[in-house]
Amino acid sequence: MTSSPVPGSSGAPALELKGITKRFGSVVANDRVDFDVRAGEVHALLGENGAGKSTLMSVLYGLYKPTEGEIFVDGRQVEVDSPATAIKLGIGMVHQHFMLVPVMTVAENIVLGQEPKRAGGMLDFAGARARVRELSDRYGLAVNPDAVIEDVTVGAQQRVEILRALYRGARILVLDEPSAVLTAQEVTELMGVIQRLKEDGAAIVFISHKLHEVLEVADRITVLRRGKRVDTVPREGATERSLAQLVVGRDVLLAVDKPASKKLGDTLLEVQELHVRDDRELPAVDGLSLSVRAGEIVALAGVEGNGQQELVEAITGLRIPESGTITVGERQIAGAGVRAATEAGIAHIAEDRHRRGLVLPFTLTENIALREYRRPLFSARGWLRLRRMRDRAGRLLREFDVRGGGPEAFAAALSGGNQQKVCVAREIASDPKVLIAHQPTRGLDVGAIEFVHRRLVEERDKGRAVLLVSLEYEEVRALADRILVIYEGQIAGEFGPDVTEETLGIAMTGGQASPDAAVTA
Amino acid sequence: MSAGTIAAAPSRAVSAKHVGIAGVALAAIAWFITLPPFLVRTPVPSVILGLAAMLAGALALQAGETRLGWVDLVLGTLAIAGAFASSKSGVGHLKTVFVWSALVAAMLRYATPLLFAALGGIICERSGVINIGLEGMMLMGCYFGIFGADVLGSWVLGLVVAAVAGGLLALVHAVFSIHLRANQVVSGTGINFLALGITGYFFTAHYGPNGTPTKISTVPNVKLPLIQHVGFFGQAIGDANLMTWLGLALVPALALFLFRTRWGLRLRAVGEKPRAADTVGLPVLRIRYLAVIASGMFAALGGAYLSVAFVGSFTPNMTEGKGFIALAAVIFGRWRPGLALVATLLFGFSEAMADRLPTFSGTLATLFQALPYVLTLVAVAGLIGASRPPAASGIPYVKE
Amino acid sequence: MSSGIPDRDIIEEGGAEPGEEEALEASLTSPARLTAYLRRGGVTVPILTTLIAFLVAGIVVLLTGHDPLSTYSAIFKGTGLNWLFPWVSGAERTTAALELQQTLIQTTALILVGLAVAFAFRAGLFNIGGQGQYTMGAIVAVWVGSSLSGLPAFIHIVLAIALAALAGAAWAGIAGILKAVAGVHEVISTIMLNWVAIWLGVYLFQLGGPLQDPSQSSVPVSKTVAASAKLPVFWGPAALQGLDIGIFIALACVVVFAIIINRTRLGYEIRAVGFNPDAASYAGMNVRRNYVRVMLICGAFAGVAAAMDILGWKFSLFTNDIQLSQIGFLGIAVALLGRNTAGGVVAAALLFGALLTGTSQRNLDPTVFDPNLAQYLTFMIQGLVVLLVSTDVIALRVLRGGRGIAVGLRRPRGPKPTSTEESAT
Repeated sequence: MTSSPVPGSSGAPALELKGITKRFGSVVANDRVDFDVRAGEVHALLGENGAGKSTLMSVLYGLYKPTEGEIFVDGRQVEVDSPATAIKLGIGMVHQHFMLVPVMTVAENIVLGQEPKRAGGMLDFAGARARVRELSDRYGLAVNPDAVIEDVTVGAQQRVEILRALYRGARILVLDEPSAVLTAQEVTELMGVIQRLKEDGAAIVFISHKLHEVLEVADRITVLRRGKRVDTVPREGATERSLAQLVVGRDVLLAVDKPASKKLGDTLLEVQELHVRDDRELPAVDGLSLSVRAGEIVALAGVEGNGQQELVEAITGLRIPESGTITVGERQIAGAGVRAATEAGIAHIAEDRHRRGLVLPFTLTENIALREYRRPLFSARGWLRLRRMRDRAGRLLREFDVRGGGPEAFAAALSGGNQQKVCVAREIASDPKVLIAHQPTRGLDVGAIEFVHRRLVEERDKGRAVLLVSLEYEEVRALADRILVIYEGQIAGEFGPDVTEETLGIAMTGGQASPDAAVTA
Repeated sequence: MSAGTIAAAPSRAVSAKHVGIAGVALAAIAWFITLPPFLVRTPVPSVILGLAAMLAGALALQAGETRLGWVDLVLGTLAIAGAFASSKSGVGHLKTVFVWSALVAAMLRYATPLLFAALGGIICERSGVINIGLEGMMLMGCYFGIFGADVLGSWVLGLVVAAVAGGLLALVHAVFSIHLRANQVVSGTGINFLALGITGYFFTAHYGPNGTPTKISTVPNVKLPLIQHVGFFGQAIGDANLMTWLGLALVPALALFLFRTRWGLRLRAVGEKPRAADTVGLPVLRIRYLAVIASGMFAALGGAYLSVAFVGSFTPNMTEGKGFIALAAVIFGRWRPGLALVATLLFGFSEAMADRLPTFSGTLATLFQALPYVLTLVAVAGLIGASRPPAASGIPYVKE
Repeated sequence: MSSGIPDRDIIEEGGAEPGEEEALEASLTSPARLTAYLRRGGVTVPILTTLIAFLVAGIVVLLTGHDPLSTYSAIFKGTGLNWLFPWVSGAERTTAALELQQTLIQTTALILVGLAVAFAFRAGLFNIGGQGQYTMGAIVAVWVGSSLSGLPAFIHIVLAIALAALAGAAWAGIAGILKAVAGVHEVISTIMLNWVAIWLGVYLFQLGGPLQDPSQSSVPVSKTVAASAKLPVFWGPAALQGLDIGIFIALACVVVFAIIINRTRLGYEIRAVGFNPDAASYAGMNVRRNYVRVMLICGAFAGVAAAMDILGWKFSLFTNDIQLSQIGFLGIAVALLGRNTAGGVVAAALLFGALLTGTSQRNLDPTVFDPNLAQYLTFMIQGLVVLLVSTDVIALRVLRGGRGIAVGLRRPRGPKPTSTEESAT
């Protein structure tokens, strides 16, 4: 690790990208982007996903070959044609989706590709372990070198990723959306690690779309939009609003305008004392109770992995609960399967439209029939009613303004926003009593988010009960009439829509959670 | 606590797993004592031992060791049935069939080709490429081994030719499944057809109806000077083929390579998570190419053993599904060389039995040929412990 | 505070991020891109594939000192397809008719084993066990056909076919159940089941085997099918193995296949499960039960294929035949070359049926090319075709969102990462 000039001092930057352009066919992912980072500095790269951040970093790391542009490391022009070259140049990458081998140990993962060896090509396991210990002590990155990756927490896996870059002697460290998968506690720890690395003279590129994090950690902030660099600003003077404006390119309503709920009706969804186990047979939902009434949006807020997934799967019939009851109107549906849940009046906007919500190689007609294909509307005595299916699809596509193809188009051919519209249209059209919206705006751009939000409010006003499961504070606050916080499979608190993020944040992390809870190795 | 000491009664110090293993051992003993050389002529002791095995199974089941528990129950039952069967059959017959030394020798003979191919399969699948084409690669070695030995006049060169031929066919599989990102199962099926066609075609074109000549240089047996004439061992391993010993030596060598060297670590990383390997600068595709080609060479050596060492001649489609048994051994052995050796020995033993059982019944012996496949089905159904293939196996790697 | 800026990256109109398809193409290697383009061309790829295979095999013929053109023309003559040319007349036409009947007899079974594989493919399953299912069907067909000889012909035939279908279905069903219950990958289970079936067949009909024909005690063969169970011959002399009605049964099965896939709820469910099991269970479909149903249907097709062979022209089953038959694997070639569609399967079956007949001892002129060699030439061409179509399956994989047909005995734990990492996106 070289000792370094202070931020903002003159001298060549540790890394400089000049005029990087990357085209995929006719699409320009990066358009003449300039970017630089100095030793001992954190430079944030901010932008919506799809703005070209990851493409730019893939160019830097040798995964993509730039169409045009130059890269300089320590003032020398270099050509990065593979990750191996990038590593040699001292560039380290902490990927958003960890690049670790799940069945191997922490030490094996860290040394992979640059293994210490003994005579005869044998691996020097003791040496590897010692090196890992040394690095982890130095930067306060607690890991157990002998633990197997798939057994350690996500936070620990990220520490392994960082250690791996350091092991390779990285001086320029790219962190790609490092907080996306972490708990609040782990994020705090990560910020500490970044601080130590910076003091040690590392040049850090911090990629994020979370404004508050960027403001907390970065020295400078570069905003990308649609492949172009919009501006580079120092942290001093930047605000969330000013950054948001740069990111989106127009004024954004950070709060959605929503009329208050008109009138509350009967309780349509009632969950009592529900216990659900996850895939590993561990308790995920632990004696949870909640109810949603007609005409209200109840938001279930929480950090990912606190039982939301299992709860939604239990309510929608995808997972059999261990005990407890789920009542829709008058009907008991716990453990009765998807079909029973659907028939009782549950609609479900699935969290992941590619994995679950859509059959991508199916036409839109076939996708729109997906949840109701057994009803007489679409089939009789085992035969499909193809014309009716097509008519219904045509009508819904018009009503929900789905663009990019008619009823015979393949779902795969649509953009993400339009795919989500298809899912929303299908679920709403089934005229449900209860609408479960599980992260309904994940991966959508601002326009599509507004559309989905508006529809959810409209459905509430039609007298449906809406259960919104979301990880985004903004979304929760914007839509909910009531906010329930889920923590470790239980309801940890109930709040009104005017709750502050701080209060909510404390509840979501279990109040005074012990700081050791997240450290595993 | 050692697994070797068999605890009669379960205590807290003994895990359910050990009880289960003890059950397996009891069942084995129950049957074994009715066979030569012990030849207990009454089933009573066996029934007692068998019941003890089943008791161990029940205990294991109760303690949550379900798989071993069920295995014990089944084996216990089989052992009692086997003991009844052997106590009813004549001593003469038993002595003809259960000549242990000869059975061991035959087991090694039958296991050798499977072992080579299975080791090849392990290398290939550990790198993330499925190899359904082992059968075809064996067949290539089978023909080109004897062709090389015949034309070049030396079994050493024959084996070299076999390995090259197998490697070339594997290269085809590699190009299709790695570079062209073909479906690996389909590509492997194509490889098998291709090998059947190529070997049959060249055999017919070159040797015609007369077949391979009789005097071809073959791989010699190794006569162990010290124990060659020492009773059981002499007959069992005193005169085994050189390739058998070579195959046995390759097992620890491959295990060492896979789990103790940097190249083994890299190979496994490529098979488990190629993108991770790529991002640390490893040449994923090159490693896979090398692995597939190596597997073809191994499989071809297994095939060459059949023609150049075992039989000394070639007939079309000579491997007759041995490549698939080797594939079964790879899976049965959970992608580990040591366990794969156990699997090939087990399969070799069942073939040896199929050879000898006709003394009792000419027809039933045939069913022993199906045993490897049935055992593998049982194994993959999770009854003998969970199997877990390399995570990326079968998925072509796309570099970004 | 969270900004609410999206986590993932699809921009609606005029976005800078490449569309899925474009990103896909950018990531493809050039030969794979060629294939992807060709697949859109429909029948272009299969035809090109076939031509390349014949070309390569022709080079082998040339290198071994024969004339590929006259070889291929002799093989073509042997297929009897020249019967279709109106200018062929007289004795030549009579011979051609006989030969065409043989081609169509082969085509019959190939269509059915092709359907057995194609149906599984449509459901996202890889039925590599056509061989075993066929063998079980053949065992039952020959057993039922050679016993119960008092029955009226129609009933005997229907019974033999139905039971053969049942046997094939049951055998395939084992693989389906193993997958549904224990998560055993069907590639492994069906391969193992193939060999179990083969050895079972050898056991039954070997010398002294329980079902061996007692009247020919030195031949490992089954009893001969009774006259009442033989399929009627409608074209050509029965004594010279004319064409039986099996071809119509096969074509009827093709229609059934197409209707099930495209028009019924069952077909809709099967396709949904095939493309995306998670979405299928989200739609309330029982994915595991579907695996069993699909395998049962596949096995039934293979069982019927065997019944057509046994009741149509083989009439008995030699152990040798059981061990040497490659028909189940040919089914894979037929299904893939026919792109798993009804019409494609028929066309591909005709191609392979013609190839088998054209290179057979009976039909190939030995003065032009040795039939012994030609038999292996056929295997070579089949291998090349399968290899070449295997690359093309990439298009299928891409449509399925990156799920390879991994031989995985363990189902993945926990949710998958949102971006499929080894996929082509």
